[in-house]
Amino acid sequence: MSRSIYFLTPVLAIFLTLFGGGIIFFILGFNPIEALKFFFITPISDLYGFSELLVKATPLCLIAIGLSFCFKSNNWNIGAEGQLIFGGIVGGGVALLFYNHDGFYVLPIIILSGAIGGMLFAMIPAILKTYFNTNEILVSLMLVYVAKLLLDYLVVGPWSNPEGFNFPETRQFSESARMPILFDGLRIHAGIFITLITVFLSWLILYKTYLGFQIKVSGLSLKTAKYAGFKGKTMIIIVFMISGACAGLAGVGEITGPIGQLHRNISPDYGFTAIIVAFLGRLNPIGIIFASLIVALTYLGAETAQIFLQVPKYTGQVFQGMILFFLLGSDYLLFFKIKFLGLKKNEL
Amino acid sequence: MNTKLKVSEISKIYPGCIANDKVSLEFGSGKIYALLGENGAGKSTLVKILSGVVKPDEGQVFLNDESIKLNSPLDAKKNNIGMVFQHFNLFETLSVFENLSIDSDKKDEELKTLVNDILKKYNFKIDLDIPVLNLSAGQKQKVEIIRCLIRNPKVLIMDEPTSVLTEQETDDLFISLKQFSKDGILIIYITHKLKEVLSLCDEVAVMRKGKVVSVSNTIDEKIESLANKMVGENLNTIKKKINNFKNSEEILKISNLNFKSDDPYETNLNNLNLSLKKGECLGIAGISGNGQNELFQILSGEIITEGTSIMFRNKEIGKLNPRERREYLMAFSPEDRISQAAVPELKIYENVALNNFKSSNFFEKGLVNEKKIKEHSKKILSNFSVNTDNVELKSQFLSGGNLQKLIIGRELITSPELLVCFNPTWGLDVGAINYIHETLVQINEQGKSSILISTDNDELLKLSDRICVIYKGKLSKIMNADTVSAEKLGILMGGGSID
Repeated sequence: MSRSIYFLTPVLAIFLTLFGGGIIFFILGFNPIEALKFFFITPISDLYGFSELLVKATPLCLIAIGLSFCFKSNNWNIGAEGQLIFGGIVGGGVALLFYNHDGFYVLPIIILSGAIGGMLFAMIPAILKTYFNTNEILVSLMLVYVAKLLLDYLVVGPWSNPEGFNFPETRQFSESARMPILFDGLRIHAGIFITLITVFLSWLILYKTYLGFQIKVSGLSLKTAKYAGFKGKTMIIIVFMISGACAGLAGVGEITGPIGQLHRNISPDYGFTAIIVAFLGRLNPIGIIFASLIVALTYLGAETAQIFLQVPKYTGQVFQGMILFFLLGSDYLLFFKIKFLGLKKNEL
Repeated sequence: MNTKLKVSEISKIYPGCIANDKVSLEFGSGKIYALLGENGAGKSTLVKILSGVVKPDEGQVFLNDESIKLNSPLDAKKNNIGMVFQHFNLFETLSVFENLSIDSDKKDEELKTLVNDILKKYNFKIDLDIPVLNLSAGQKQKVEIIRCLIRNPKVLIMDEPTSVLTEQETDDLFISLKQFSKDGILIIYITHKLKEVLSLCDEVAVMRKGKVVSVSNTIDEKIESLANKMVGENLNTIKKKINNFKNSEEILKISNLNFKSDDPYETNLNNLNLSLKKGECLGIAGISGNGQNELFQILSGEIITEGTSIMFRNKEIGKLNPRERREYLMAFSPEDRISQAAVPELKIYENVALNNFKSSNFFEKGLVNEKKIKEHSKKILSNFSVNTDNVELKSQFLSGGNLQKLIIGRELITSPELLVCFNPTWGLDVGAINYIHETLVQINEQGKSSILISTDNDELLKLSDRICVIYKGKLSKIMNADTVSAEKLGILMGGGSID
């Protein structure tokens, strides 16, 4: 199978998704072309829309890049959402701590603590996997709910805004704790640079370093990794740390960027959607950049569609689901060949 | 009924390799035909064409003078061509009968009588109701054969059938095959084991580099003549000079080593003691599954033990991992060359980079030094006569022999003081075996030591200076190779004791 087909199937999956979406809109009684235009063109037809696209793509790309480290080495971290939230909690906690401080140092400290928060949270499934042989899929997934409920408790209880009339949210962070806005009137913020730097570093690590080589070999054959003397346990922990740190960064980027405080819903399931992004981008740093833009568009499209077509915003998730479905489907057809044998059993 | 099978001018070209080059052969029922050739000679491709798995680029197949199209395995079945592959295609958790009924269109009762008739006729003793996973390799193979017999095959193709069988099972198989042949089934037997060809087959076709180089009656052939035809050159028989190592320096010492596994499928090792001198080859014989795997992993560092239990050049290395042991100039060639010693999906130079340690400088400050690895790989490819000079080639495109040369080359190019190898010639053809054996003798002559864990007694007796036997995780007394005979080894391997 050629390399170009391998990278073209995601594109095919996207076209199939458009087609499938068109059918759904048609059944709902809309003109499919018009509806798809509302969904995919209208949201980015002006500068503001384009900036919103980048705002959504920033965390998706960051998390997906982190996840690619895990997935490439056969470690199934499904709990990026939890690591994002926990990173947000730690970063947010630090931001609240510095509520009365001004200074250039405040934001870097918050960002760093968010990354560390996500990293530590991701180390839980990693350590349990390496030392107690637990299943990282289950542990990382269940920890998502732990993080969500912890956030819930904090914003309702101890961290809730004293002047907030018991709304489940914290104070607004101070100006020094916010990501600088890049352009007046747009929400796009400096977090995009964190993402781009991370993408570059990931490419460097995955393709040009010993660690990347070890990740590649371990993903292909654990037996070989052991024979070559790679420290398997250390590597599992490192890839979880990297992916947790990325998710934590994404979380802290959200709360210091567009949100500006902690509340119950700091992430519209970016951590889960990023799994789709990672696979759509073929676990390749450049591929993930494109994939994050496309998946981000489904978030925006869902919002426009809600306004103009009065369909629920969950349509966005339908589209994300279709992308994954068609991608897996195309892959299946790529690796296997379907033959129709008919029903003439006596000929068998 | 007489069956005639004829392949005419069959060609199959893969990118960069002509697998079959105008192959023409004729077979007739009542005889057993051997198809003999090195790994990569094209015999598997020919068999895949006959079983419909691969389509030829050119040429035709005739069954009883009628041209047949074999576009899928189903076509082969329709034309009564049965095939037993080297690797079994059975559902382990289903019963024998369920496995048979899956691809049969007969009613269960009808099938049961048919199967029972076959069992009786050929004196097979298999319980139809037990799950396949409880069967021995020989019995599983019988299930595969029965699956073919149900369809009344005119042609039965056996691909390397004895590689997983014990000697007793091999004898049984040969008796059955001769019986099938008497009953008019045309049998094509693919192998690279010369002894089997002579004891079983009537005619032998030898393939080399995609071409048929000879067709003859086995009565007119000897092992040497067949081997020469296969590799196309006269083989040098290696004679190992038995050395006296009394005054040599001791390089490796294992004392009171124990290993207890949590895994019931692994073998525990009890109180192992051995020592090895500079330039010496220690052979470790045994029937597979008696602890060889575990011993290899303990030597390579995949299993870590107490530091003091293994001393290598006066250093405690028991706690070191494989990479750290390589630092002390040890090298390892595991049994499983396809999924452990190398990764098929990786390029040659990436596989070479698997054997790295600090002083190899493949990775400087954590960064990949691709240029250095590629230079190093080129050197390995030419020094160890691997059949390509393209280091970017994925290693899945190398034949077994070339892959093993690459692996041995990778391990030896660092001039290690000790090479531990486990069944280094398993599944290889004569040419490659010879090459590997020569290489192993050479390193001893250069004063480097080796430990050869092998299930092939001829190999052990040929290459070792001293030999011991591993049985149920225990080592026998270590003996000088010139005092050991194959019979003695046999007794020890079966758990008996001598003198």
